[in-house]
Amino acid sequence: MNHLSLPAFPLDNRRLVGIVFLAPALLYMLLLVGFPFVLAIAFGFSDVTVGNTDLNFVGLQNYLAVWENDVFRQVFETTIRFTLVSQVFILIFANILAIVFTQDFTGKWFARFIFILPWATPVSLAMIGWLWMLDTKYSPIDYLLLQTGFLGPNGILSSNRNLFWLATPDLSQISVIFVQVWRMTPLATVILMAGLSSIPTDILDQAEVDGSRFMRTLLQIKLPLILPIMVIALLFSMITMFGDMTVVYVLTRGGPVDYTRVLGLYSFQVGIEGGNLAQGAAISLFAFPLLLAMAIFMLRTASRAEVQ
Amino acid sequence: MSIVQLSGLKKYFDAVRAVDGVDLAIDQGEFLVILGPSGCGKTTLMRLIAGLEKPTAGQIHIGGADVTDLPPRKRGVSMVFQSYALYPHMNVYNNIAFPLRAQRREKKYNKREMRDKVESTARLLEIDMLLDRRPRQLSGGQRQRVAIARAMVTQPAVLLLDEPLSNLDAKLRANARDELKDFQRSSNITAIFVTHDQIEAMGLGDRIVVMSEGKIQQIGTPQHIYDDPANEFVATFLGSPSMNILSREGFRFGFRPEHFLPRTLQDNPENSRLFHYFVKRVEYLGSDRLVYGYVRGHDSALTLAKVPSNVRVSLDIEQDYEFAVHNSDIKYFDKRSGQRIKQQNLARAD
Repeated sequence: MNHLSLPAFPLDNRRLVGIVFLAPALLYMLLLVGFPFVLAIAFGFSDVTVGNTDLNFVGLQNYLAVWENDVFRQVFETTIRFTLVSQVFILIFANILAIVFTQDFTGKWFARFIFILPWATPVSLAMIGWLWMLDTKYSPIDYLLLQTGFLGPNGILSSNRNLFWLATPDLSQISVIFVQVWRMTPLATVILMAGLSSIPTDILDQAEVDGSRFMRTLLQIKLPLILPIMVIALLFSMITMFGDMTVVYVLTRGGPVDYTRVLGLYSFQVGIEGGNLAQGAAISLFAFPLLLAMAIFMLRTASRAEVQ
Repeated sequence: MSIVQLSGLKKYFDAVRAVDGVDLAIDQGEFLVILGPSGCGKTTLMRLIAGLEKPTAGQIHIGGADVTDLPPRKRGVSMVFQSYALYPHMNVYNNIAFPLRAQRREKKYNKREMRDKVESTARLLEIDMLLDRRPRQLSGGQRQRVAIARAMVTQPAVLLLDEPLSNLDAKLRANARDELKDFQRSSNITAIFVTHDQIEAMGLGDRIVVMSEGKIQQIGTPQHIYDDPANEFVATFLGSPSMNILSREGFRFGFRPEHFLPRTLQDNPENSRLFHYFVKRVEYLGSDRLVYGYVRGHDSALTLAKVPSNVRVSLDIEQDYEFAVHNSDIKYFDKRSGQRIKQQNLARAD
């Protein structure tokens, strides 16, 4: 090409343009994802603490210590339980809402906008809102229940004036799961809506001419066709939820006792608040192989279910 | 007896008049082709018959019953889409069985009957060895057969076909056309076939409905609409290359390129009309020569002549020749409305 002997403009160089365009993403990945990840692995195999930052290799000692810790086992179990239970509800609600929002009705755009808010609001801000909603003494929910006679001296639910949303073992867990479902359903819904609207209209028209009614079209045509996308939505919300600590950090700090303590929070509490960086890293890395296996399994399922 | 009857049928999408007053009666066992350029309303008309669109005005009767307000499943029609719209996650068997399962409220089959029905329909279309395959494992031609089998399995009163051959490559298409016609003949089903391809229309249709701008321009047998077009639109839409339209002293008339021949080739010179033709360019197409030129003394764009290659007439470019058209091959049109005018009226004026 150089026989034209034109002066080369630097951006005509494909390789250079490629590097320039990729650089921001690569830098982000390396500095904010890759580096902390490698650091966490290094910490996990060392005896580093906030007080003594020397990295001495100690092998699997941290992992063994963590695994033998009863609190960790409970935290691990709680995390899995919260994640699984909330995914069930997220999937059910997201499917229903995605179907509703892909129908035609007046005010659809406004309804969609309102509905997306939980996801668009910063987590910590939204959690402070919920902290008030679920307040032990001044919860508006309790107030409404009190006024309608469900609470109070002759109340149906309790003779107390409050339900203590975040302070009893059962209710605190239900509250946390509920808030997680509230927060993550919009994203899953948006993903499913994209899936539903990508189904060719010919297929739906064909189903109608073939005599299929609403439920049959939904169960035998629409849902199977968006299954791969559903798996992606599930993967997103599962991974987000599994590593999340903000919700419980703001709402309960893991309490009462350890009932709502999840992996992310526990790792933070041990590693940062407790100063034992090595063990904190080991705790957070426990989730890694599990999430990796889950992601691989789900992406495989999705690509196998993919049609045409 | 007409099995489908459309009366005063209209469908407006806001300001767009997709179907604008269609009256049409389709006979039992007929192969009717709806032909028109894209955007003429032919697909909308078919969707109205299927029940996928609600008409703005007018009635649809199928098998004598008013089905205007009925959903598709209660109309006894089935449809083959241009894309075939096979359910990609189901194998061929389940694709074909789907309408039977979906219409179980209308008629219920047990497992055995269903299998028999699916298999016999599949045999009819020679796809019985493909029943376990997924649509993506099939060729275009096989997909088309599966779509037809699925449409036929419920034994509908009317089969609607929306350009089902346009996704096949040219070689397959001629073959598929032939098979489709054979199949329709032997099953004696009423077929309504939408296309923009005039060769398909001429080859398949017992009758052709030519549509433009939401209205029916002409209904007739292929030969009828080709030889005796009702208006200038039909005359120029059919035929390739299309009819030459000339105007002179306020009259418009037309003739087909294959009827426009050197005078020496006309077998009946007394009944022919003579034109002075200036040849601009000649294309040799093998069996024919396609001649581009101008007719002297007339307002027209290019005028084309299609001269068989086997006649020994030399045609040189930039030369004037005497060409002639048989009087009966000249069609006269009203200048304003474009409608055909009887020849004798014009002959007097001419």
